[in-house]
Amino acid sequence: MRRSKLMSLNEAISTFVQNGDLIGIGGLSFWRKPISACREIIRQNKRDLSICTFVGGIEVDMLVASGCTSVVRASFVGMEVFGMAPHYRKAVETGKIRISEESEATIALGLRASYLKVPFMPLKGIIGTDLPKVRDDIKQIEDPLGSGIQVMALPKIDLDVSIIHVPYADEFGNANITGAVWMDDDMAKTAKKTIITCEKLVETEDIRHLPGKAQLPMQTTDAVVRVPFGAHPTSCYNRYTFDALHIQEYLKMDFDVYKRKFIDVKSHAQYLENAGGAQMILNTLL
Amino acid sequence: MSEYSKDYTVDEMMTVLMAREVRNDDVMIVGVATPMVWAAFTLAKVTHAPDAIYHYIMGNTFVIEPRQVSLLYLEMNTARAYRFQDSVECTLESLPSDKLTTIEFFRPAQIDQYGNSNNICIGDWNKPKIRLPGAAGILDFSMFYSRGSFLYTPRHDTRTFVPTERLDFISGVGFPDGKPSICGGAGPQCVITSLAFLDFDGKLKKMRLASIHPRTNIETIKESTGFDLIIPKDLKETKRPTVKEINLLREKVDPLGIRKLEVLAGKEREDLLDEIIQKELAMEKRFPNLLK
Repeated sequence: MRRSKLMSLNEAISTFVQNGDLIGIGGLSFWRKPISACREIIRQNKRDLSICTFVGGIEVDMLVASGCTSVVRASFVGMEVFGMAPHYRKAVETGKIRISEESEATIALGLRASYLKVPFMPLKGIIGTDLPKVRDDIKQIEDPLGSGIQVMALPKIDLDVSIIHVPYADEFGNANITGAVWMDDDMAKTAKKTIITCEKLVETEDIRHLPGKAQLPMQTTDAVVRVPFGAHPTSCYNRYTFDALHIQEYLKMDFDVYKRKFIDVKSHAQYLENAGGAQMILNTLL
Repeated sequence: MSEYSKDYTVDEMMTVLMAREVRNDDVMIVGVATPMVWAAFTLAKVTHAPDAIYHYIMGNTFVIEPRQVSLLYLEMNTARAYRFQDSVECTLESLPSDKLTTIEFFRPAQIDQYGNSNNICIGDWNKPKIRLPGAAGILDFSMFYSRGSFLYTPRHDTRTFVPTERLDFISGVGFPDGKPSICGGAGPQCVITSLAFLDFDGKLKKMRLASIHPRTNIETIKESTGFDLIIPKDLKETKRPTVKEINLLREKVDPLGIRKLEVLAGKEREDLLDEIIQKELAMEKRFPNLLK
């Protein structure tokens, strides 16, 4: 609908994220993650969330460390060349959270099945792995059309909310990603509610001139929040790269100390100040 | 004939061996956090495989131009693409294989004699001793790449090379129980390690010592492998990197030595990581150099 969906971050998260929701997080690894929204989720002390993301990194680790999360669904959770995601790893090893073991296709095809309104999508992969042993909702079936080919049936993933960070959006929720889209368009299409955080608010006319135009169209958007550097410490192509120094600091710090310094802050401006201010911005701007 | 290098390091040996596996008509799949694979593909691009195409998972893109390997600005390499893919295509990167072939290197945490691999967990899945990051696309594709799957590990030891009964989870499919690969794929082709080049016996589908790197010996390899390798009578020495390959790697492809992060551990690795970050932060130009 063509109406303004501008909101504050606080309002967007408190309106659309409920305890127990299955939340889709956009981006991949250290790239274009909606981290400011994740910090807000932690500040609002949401509970019992299930987090679904294609490749998870620091955002999954934070959402686990803070106790907001009870289930993780991701094909990979790690800190790239910086190592493993420490709190995620510990929480899985101690049984504090549950995981649904995923591959790239179980997520990509699960989201596609959801918005196509079919119960499953077939895949000619996974056969022979141990994945079906730990996923009783995945089944090997024979082609019902009679070719005799064996395929894996991958169940749909119905998201309650998707949260996606983009460089450019208008107030109606048309959003341009500029760089790689990954699963974000499918997440936005299939989630019951979609929150978009953006670097820059632009006019609809400007979106028409951006490469790829509105990969996320307004009819699937429920909230638009302007948060410059809202993906920090992950990247937002074509504006800034990830903040390696901050990620290293995160890995060295006790999470409670990190939380006090970077999450329990009064404003986003205060966060950016604590994260290094102008020097951090100069380090990461492309 | 080119002259062989005399001062190459183990990461350089592995990178060069991986590069030599690339063919000119390959689509080269670059995963997340695998700088050695990326360096190898880029070395192949600037030597014998100029037409090979990168498929970057980080960018979900197809890219032609080779650029210098980068840590902080790698997204710049991936986003300067000629094609962005949509979400499902991203996970089905191997499907155009009737027209082009695909090459992807997997780095397993555990691997057995049939090339089955594990990147999920150490110990029981329900209560793992170590939860690993996950197997991502390996679960989807290891079984049907028409050119097969390629493996590498700088850790040639008995924690990595384990007998089938000690493989904690099959997340990459090899030749289960010595049977041909399923789903029509060619199955695992090779395992490139710090000590040797391993391949698979065509009939038995079991791992074979194809060649042994200079400066090591058979005893070390046997002690470092948790199962019996097939050892051919006429065991060869691995062909060393050439001076040209080493110079290109050090000067053009990966001058910051980002590939070494896959080999080093502990303090040494942390120091190198800090050094790379500081050097890249100091760069005015944030586009990694276009090579050629």
